[in-house]
Amino acid sequence: MIKHCTFHVDCMNIDIRFSPEAGKGGKFLFLGNEALIRGCLESGVGFIAQYPGTPTSDIGETFKDILEQQPDLNEYIIHHWSVNEAVATSSCAGAAWAGIRALNPMKHVGMNVASDALHAITLAGPNPGALVLVVGSDPGSLGSHHEQNERFFTWMHHTPMIEPHSPQECHDWIKLAFDLSEKYDLPIYFRTSTRSAHSRGEVEIGDFKLPPKKKGEFFRSTDKYCSLPPYAINNHVRLYQRIEKVTKDVHSFGLNKIYPGNARTGIISYGIPFGYSLEALHLLSLDEVPILKLGMTYPLNDDEIVNFIKDLDKVIVVEELEAFLEMNVRAIAQKYRISIPIIGSEVFPKFNEFSTGLVASCIAKITGKNPGTRIQKSQDAFNAYKAKIPSRFPTFCPGCPERAMIMAIKKATHDLADPKTIIAGDIGCYVMGLNPPLRISDFIICMSGGLSAAIGLSKKTTDKIIALIGDSTLMHTGLPVIVDAIANEANVLLVIFDNRWVAMTGHQPPVGKGKIQFEPLLASMGVSWIKTVDPFEVDKTVRMIEDGLKQGGLKVIICQRECALMAKRVYDAERRKLKASGTQYACDKYQVYNCVLCERCTEMLSCPAMRRTRDELTGDTVMSIDEDRCSCCSVCYQVCPHNRIKKTAYNPHLGTKLELRRIEPQ
Amino acid sequence: MTGSTDTRILNVVIVGTAGQGVITLKRLIEFIAAEEDYEGIFGSEMHGLAQREGAISSHCRLQKKKSGNLRDNIFSPIICYGDADLYIGFEPVEVLRNGMFASDKTTFVVNDRTIPPILVTAGKETYPTIDEIRSILIEYSKDPRKVQFLNATELAIKEFDDAQKMNMIMFGFAMATATSILGFRMETCEKVVRRELRDADANIAAIKLGLERAKQLIKK
Repeated sequence: MIKHCTFHVDCMNIDIRFSPEAGKGGKFLFLGNEALIRGCLESGVGFIAQYPGTPTSDIGETFKDILEQQPDLNEYIIHHWSVNEAVATSSCAGAAWAGIRALNPMKHVGMNVASDALHAITLAGPNPGALVLVVGSDPGSLGSHHEQNERFFTWMHHTPMIEPHSPQECHDWIKLAFDLSEKYDLPIYFRTSTRSAHSRGEVEIGDFKLPPKKKGEFFRSTDKYCSLPPYAINNHVRLYQRIEKVTKDVHSFGLNKIYPGNARTGIISYGIPFGYSLEALHLLSLDEVPILKLGMTYPLNDDEIVNFIKDLDKVIVVEELEAFLEMNVRAIAQKYRISIPIIGSEVFPKFNEFSTGLVASCIAKITGKNPGTRIQKSQDAFNAYKAKIPSRFPTFCPGCPERAMIMAIKKATHDLADPKTIIAGDIGCYVMGLNPPLRISDFIICMSGGLSAAIGLSKKTTDKIIALIGDSTLMHTGLPVIVDAIANEANVLLVIFDNRWVAMTGHQPPVGKGKIQFEPLLASMGVSWIKTVDPFEVDKTVRMIEDGLKQGGLKVIICQRECALMAKRVYDAERRKLKASGTQYACDKYQVYNCVLCERCTEMLSCPAMRRTRDELTGDTVMSIDEDRCSCCSVCYQVCPHNRIKKTAYNPHLGTKLELRRIEPQ
Repeated sequence: MTGSTDTRILNVVIVGTAGQGVITLKRLIEFIAAEEDYEGIFGSEMHGLAQREGAISSHCRLQKKKSGNLRDNIFSPIICYGDADLYIGFEPVEVLRNGMFASDKTTFVVNDRTIPPILVTAGKETYPTIDEIRSILIEYSKDPRKVQFLNATELAIKEFDDAQKMNMIMFGFAMATATSILGFRMETCEKVVRRELRDADANIAAIKLGLERAKQLIKK
């Protein structure tokens, strides 16, 4: 029987799934990420550090909640929001070197940043403690700027890789990962995906285990911890010894499993694609096809692979993105002179996310089976009306201060044409400015890649350049780029969105929130032209951008206003509270009257609270504002050249005036 | 416990736009199913970038009793093309966007409040009419009873002064429209809502309102 979490009623608001009260044999529903957190709490984890990034942000949020709900745990467990992934990984290594079990979650592209640190840490090894990395991959780029296959890092660093399929495996295997990390003195690469991290299923849990309460101890060992020749070469030798030991022992971990069958064709898969494969086979009435499900996808053990493939006529490798497993399986087959066809990336796509339907179609193609009429019919039906579906790009929320700033940039530069202006985009909510109809961001590279590229551009073009960056991205990697821009005298206008949250990944507090003041910080770095503006003051913002573009060198505009999602949450709650208590209140309301359809607001703002409908009687196009979605930022009201947006006047006699929360100037 | 021998896999697709409560409803359905001792529960949801007015879809897969034949059970958190039993649509055009999971066996319950994508508002693309969407969906089963629209957002604003309650109205509406798919007991729903959601009284009232509306429509 499954028992469940109790969020708001029992146990004084403690989520019982993460408390010591729930113990061995208890069954609960968990998301993959939640299950691995429970696993950590049963493994004696003492330190967690991460930079937020989908699909791993909620790991940190849940840890923060747990520590808030159960304050006693703070004596045992520390969670950090780190400034970036390299810092987080090294922080975790530090804790591990004090004998602690450390957890380091990151998204797939976070590994690019962490890799520099991780290579040296792997050479050294995390002992006497343990280090487990949770790397959230994202085939299909469902929550990322691209779908890079970061599995190849495991090969380069020699970090054993575990890939779970279900929440139960997330729970069980993360516990194993800590044991392996400790036993083999290697960081363990625990690779989830957007699907496995955010799929919910039943998990049988074990008993809570806390780390020691007393502090750990660091024992000096130049040989082990210093990655510099000659120690680095010795550690490289030691690294091969460690990973070869893991390779030899793989079978004893219980991670790899065969689903038997008598067919002469077999499948090798892992994680979520294993689930697609099994269901696809069932759909094709191919239940006799044996499957080797790999829980450890690096390193592979020769014997395990050979034993599975040696009696088959054909092997199908089902894996998302680049052919990592296929390549390794091929190498083993070649080594043992097994010459059967190994089919993978030549039939399966090397890009985008898989699905049961897609895997079924590919297996059907390979085996000559009919993929079934239902799959075909449903796809045909869908294709018949697909063209009628309007596209829906993510965009700025109603009342987003970033939309207001982007509109001001368009206005100040006459739609980027006069003066000709290049927009250097970056990673954060502001990437959505590149979607139509705004189309503002001329390139996106990586965290702080915008200002970095702007430095080169500014030296080799005569165009004006505006670089965009968020407060959290600025802290992540942006500050060194500012130093570079000043030192190399780049001519760029930098807009910093200070919205007080890491908004894109679900509103984590940026590192240093409330402690770091941007203006004095930038001034001390040598920026001489720094202005702070509320983007809802449209004319002032436009003038400031015009002014900034006329100056030389690096100029900074700090766009200061809280994220509209957070502000509206507070606003709606207050409004309901006032209403419930019977207090009189007034709030602004914006309405469209007799719109002349000049399209100024739709092109400049494209606010989703704005609606275009057709009057059924007259057939005329009517513009309106959805009252429940509008967050009263007033920007459309300020922008309309024909004054067709009216503001319902606030009547002070009504009593309390309710306003969206403003950021008070510091 | 109930001695059920029902090993069918029920596939529910919940779609809408960011912030409408797609994930909340999926979580609720899974917790209710668990409370009613369903043995197979697996489903995927979207977090992160899909926020910010983007399209959101969640798949919820339920099985009362696991089959003795291993390969008859749920292994994938997402549904195969054509295999959805029920769509709960918080936004009409989002049902079409995820249409590849529908077939002749599918029932659709859809909130009629449109959230126009920005290119529609900008006059660059057109949004199909509700009638057009309705006839596309009816085409699957040729059975108009399997396609039900409800003015759930309008009801939520009118009855609860909170457009968000649309999601629970739609849940109630779906339960009464597709009883063989979401056959939960109201007591279980109430118990789980009280445990999992804030503002429980209003949410329960919203579920009941949805149930009633569906019953009225069935009578007609």
